[in-house]
Amino acid sequence: MNYSIAIYGGPYSDQSAHSALHFARAVLKREHSIQRVFFYHDGVYNSSALVSPPQDEANVPAQWQELAKEHDIELVVCIAAAVRRGLLDEKEAKRYSKATHNLADGFTLSGLGQLIDAGMTCDRLITFGA
Amino acid sequence: MSDLLIIFRKPPVGTSWAREALDLALVGAAFGQQASLVFMGDGVYQLLDNQQPDQVEQKGTQAMMKALPMYDIDQIFVSEESLSERGLTKDQLGFDCELIGQTELQALLKTHKQVFNF
Amino acid sequence: MLNLADKQIPTDEEGYLENLSDWQPEVAELIAEAEGLELTESHWEILNLLRQFYQEFELSPAMRPLVKYIGIHLDKDKAKSIYLMQLFGESPAKLASKLAGLPKPTNCL
Repeated sequence: MNYSIAIYGGPYSDQSAHSALHFARAVLKREHSIQRVFFYHDGVYNSSALVSPPQDEANVPAQWQELAKEHDIELVVCIAAAVRRGLLDEKEAKRYSKATHNLADGFTLSGLGQLIDAGMTCDRLITFGA
Repeated sequence: MSDLLIIFRKPPVGTSWAREALDLALVGAAFGQQASLVFMGDGVYQLLDNQQPDQVEQKGTQAMMKALPMYDIDQIFVSEESLSERGLTKDQLGFDCELIGQTELQALLKTHKQVFNF
Repeated sequence: MLNLADKQIPTDEEGYLENLSDWQPEVAELIAEAEGLELTESHWEILNLLRQFYQEFELSPAMRPLVKYIGIHLDKDKAKSIYLMQLFGESPAKLASKLAGLPKPTNCL
């Protein structure tokens, strides 16, 4: 089955961000596929390149990057939710005249249409953190 | 039958849930998807008339909600139970909506392929 | 940055106003000039309606709702995306929002 995942919770604040990773691994282990992970609401914080947990805690963005690379998963972050929370890629940083950008590699800023599209085109869209 | 069912359970201010749920409804509509909205729990407060979100330096959802007809969103349902639990009646609401009970809600959940819950 | 008489009006990289309260018709003319556009009465009719849309709904509209709103308030034959494109080019909702001094749209599809 082809899955997509929506995440609304931020890492280290909300279990949903961590549960989504567990779920994704379980899905892939059963040889299903994941097309897209969409980050919305506080879920956008999962895409920060500046996340710096203590050494005995998981680095959530890094884990998504690794999983996405290995299994060819799109990591899409809602642009409107991200930009107002201070998560910018190079292009948006320029657009809003900011000195720096902090969206982690492998993540893409895009519109909410990508969440609607995931719901339309995948067999299952599973939401974490609603 | 509409394509999307979006469930609003959070009040219009206090968190960004209500606004972000509404954003999804508007984008869905702009994407050519017919959306139906259900308000339940504290989400029913989004339908109240005469809100003053600027008092807490928020935009709230009231003005955006008025734009729903421009996006061809006219299926708005509200949980009768959630209203009465909060001592509210339909005539206090600033929007045309249909009162539903548990049975109708179940039917809506059953008939929509896509449900977004906020 | 736009120069209006003796006043400087800050804009961002893409030419949107930094402070929405700086907007006045003369500012729209300056933005139009920077975009290589001359504002006619037909443009103004749409710009004023856009401002009205924003005041009413606190939203910068996408194309479809804008067209619907025009259909309600102006002639039906103006409620067409082709008409807006003739006036404002390829992405009319975006450029017209900039000219009308609305917030920069965030919700790209």
